[in-house]
Amino acid sequence: MKKKLLGVLMTSALALTACSSSSDGGDEVAAGASSCAPASGGPVTLTFTSWIPKIEEVVKVWNDAHPEIQVKVQTGPNGNGGTYQNFFNQLKAGNAPDLGQIEYDALPSFRVQDGLTNLAACKPVTDAKDRFIDWTWNQVSFGEKDAVYGVPQDSGPMALFYRKDLFEKAGIPVPATWEEYAAAAVKVRAAGGYITNFSQSDINQFAGLAWQAGGRWFSNDGTKWTVNLQDEATTKVANYWQDLIAKKLVSAVPPWTTEWDSAYNKGQAWTWVSAVWGANSISSGAPDTSGKWAVAPMPQWTAGGKVAGNWGGSSTAVFKGSKHPYEAAQFAIWLNTSQEALTLLNEKANLYPATKDGATLPALGKGVDFYGGQKIYDVFAAAATQVTPDFTWGPTMTSTYASASDGFKAAVSGSGTLLDALKKAQTTTIDNLKSQSIPVAE
Amino acid sequence: MTSRKPILFFVLPFGLLFAAFYLAPIGYAIKQSLYKVTRTGTFGPAHEVFGGLEQYQRVFQNGPFWESVGRVLLFGVVQVPVMLGLALLLALLLDSGLVRGKRFFRLAFFVPYAIPGVVAAIMWGFLYSPNLSPFTAVTSNWNLLSADLVLWAMANVVTWVYVGYNMLIIYSALLAIPQEVYEAATIDGAGPWRTAWSIKIPLVMPAIVLTTVFSIIGTLQLLAEPQVFRTFSSAVSSTYTPNLTVYSTSSIPNFNLAAAFSVVLALATFVLSFTFLKFTSRGGDK
Repeated sequence: MKKKLLGVLMTSALALTACSSSSDGGDEVAAGASSCAPASGGPVTLTFTSWIPKIEEVVKVWNDAHPEIQVKVQTGPNGNGGTYQNFFNQLKAGNAPDLGQIEYDALPSFRVQDGLTNLAACKPVTDAKDRFIDWTWNQVSFGEKDAVYGVPQDSGPMALFYRKDLFEKAGIPVPATWEEYAAAAVKVRAAGGYITNFSQSDINQFAGLAWQAGGRWFSNDGTKWTVNLQDEATTKVANYWQDLIAKKLVSAVPPWTTEWDSAYNKGQAWTWVSAVWGANSISSGAPDTSGKWAVAPMPQWTAGGKVAGNWGGSSTAVFKGSKHPYEAAQFAIWLNTSQEALTLLNEKANLYPATKDGATLPALGKGVDFYGGQKIYDVFAAAATQVTPDFTWGPTMTSTYASASDGFKAAVSGSGTLLDALKKAQTTTIDNLKSQSIPVAE
Repeated sequence: MTSRKPILFFVLPFGLLFAAFYLAPIGYAIKQSLYKVTRTGTFGPAHEVFGGLEQYQRVFQNGPFWESVGRVLLFGVVQVPVMLGLALLLALLLDSGLVRGKRFFRLAFFVPYAIPGVVAAIMWGFLYSPNLSPFTAVTSNWNLLSADLVLWAMANVVTWVYVGYNMLIIYSALLAIPQEVYEAATIDGAGPWRTAWSIKIPLVMPAIVLTTVFSIIGTLQLLAEPQVFRTFSSAVSSTYTPNLTVYSTSSIPNFNLAAAFSVVLALATFVLSFTFLKFTSRGGDK
């Protein structure tokens, strides 16, 4: 009996040391393009984590056609809502899935943690380069040669979703500039509504607004990062929204909550400056308003301008430690370039493809009933070409967002301003970069 | 000597699990907290090297963390006495013979504890939200999720969940008081009030001390309620409580700093709990 117990003790002790030594070894893996060879015989099973609505149905199409490469899909909350944290923990523990959905703004964070497989050696991936919209490829390659850290999936060109019925009834013209938007806000408030709900805790929307105005938050010259969350353009955008908040012309319901859905469903908020995938958020969150919405181009800073912002957009990345990067890359390419997958992704989740010929996808030419039969993707197709390509994301966006969001939340509750929040977020970001030995200019 | 073997045998399952799921993680956290990351260039591979107390220096320079510690201390100073006072009152009422349907009430008070903390927080969050709450008369006059009130809104949730649990501990201590003590008190002419004040409360003091220590530990480790309330309220930041700071730091991910935060928090909890125990036991000796 005693011997047996001793045996149990020994094995568990061994298991413990095995765990720790393997994780130590994992840190030593050098960066650089990994080899991309097919698996030597036998069918391959890949794991894939994503939060795209109904992604299972899209993956099923692949699985039915490819018995030799089976993909097991797992769904979770959206990236910053918990999935990224899971990914980081799984990477630390050495059991990350083969593939994961990562938004462009989070790619630098995963790369800096050495969590991604460089697919530059995978011919099917590099061959597809020219099929993608330039700026999306720029996001996954970081503008470097021999670097591909993910396959672009979708983009999030922004436009103005608005309650056509309410605007017509109140006799308010659809705003084409931000100045008109602020003027409309006053009239909407007088009519008992709010022009929109200011996204206090999801900073990505604000980033999209700043992107449109010409804000550039991060730059990386190869030796160090420069952080500037208060450049001229961003300051202009922050002051603009601060003014609307101070005048109580926008509501500040926390985004992505039942309460937020309810505010749109009850017609309290009349517009939403959002990305193309927002079409799905409205139709699923505010089902009672079906047929009453329409989409117009994003309001402009200069009358007659044609500049759009971008909010979100994801890539399909292969995690470090995947034993089958070749097969994983094949699946990622199919998922993001094949007509059948892109059509399904658009029908199920309103994703707007990151490929150049995606704009001609038949599904995108149809009118959408929820938006009164409007061919809404025409608006987004135009916006996609108006997104300025050179926006760089920092390597610790999680902490930048968390800090900015703490400040934004305080600002909507009346203490401090959006600009204060950005100032604080900049300090926190620089501190965080330093604490992880990531070189940063002061 | 042979009699020790069975003891070892019975202790071993606990010992193994304790070591694997308690001591090993703590050891790992301490180890992590003593390391730091170095890298070359903006995307150079990271190397973990021994960093001494560098992470601890960051912890002590971190303003938001210490603000959050102050916040939970304030929370504890108000919420723990209110909750335990209520628990004691309910236990005394159940024990007093004034209440009919003791079994029903004992169960009814305890039921909230059976509801997972996250579910309880979501439920209360809905009750507090101005647009969703059925109690519009309250929520339209007081924004319970505002910066001034949200801490106490959460205190209400915690109290609601744990009052029954603490009541049960105090109530079982009351049941353990020998009947003779009451008889003696009655003979000396003590009424129900006098008995409660001079006999029952002093005799269940150890149970109250125990529940206080549990509550202090629980307060310092508040996570589920603020985590859930973040989605409802704009007043709950990502560093609202110490544990939330640990959580946000680990999701950056900055595991080394998060480990240092955890170690400091654990030490603070130890110090507070033992100070309280020491303080109360010295009081008992007099």
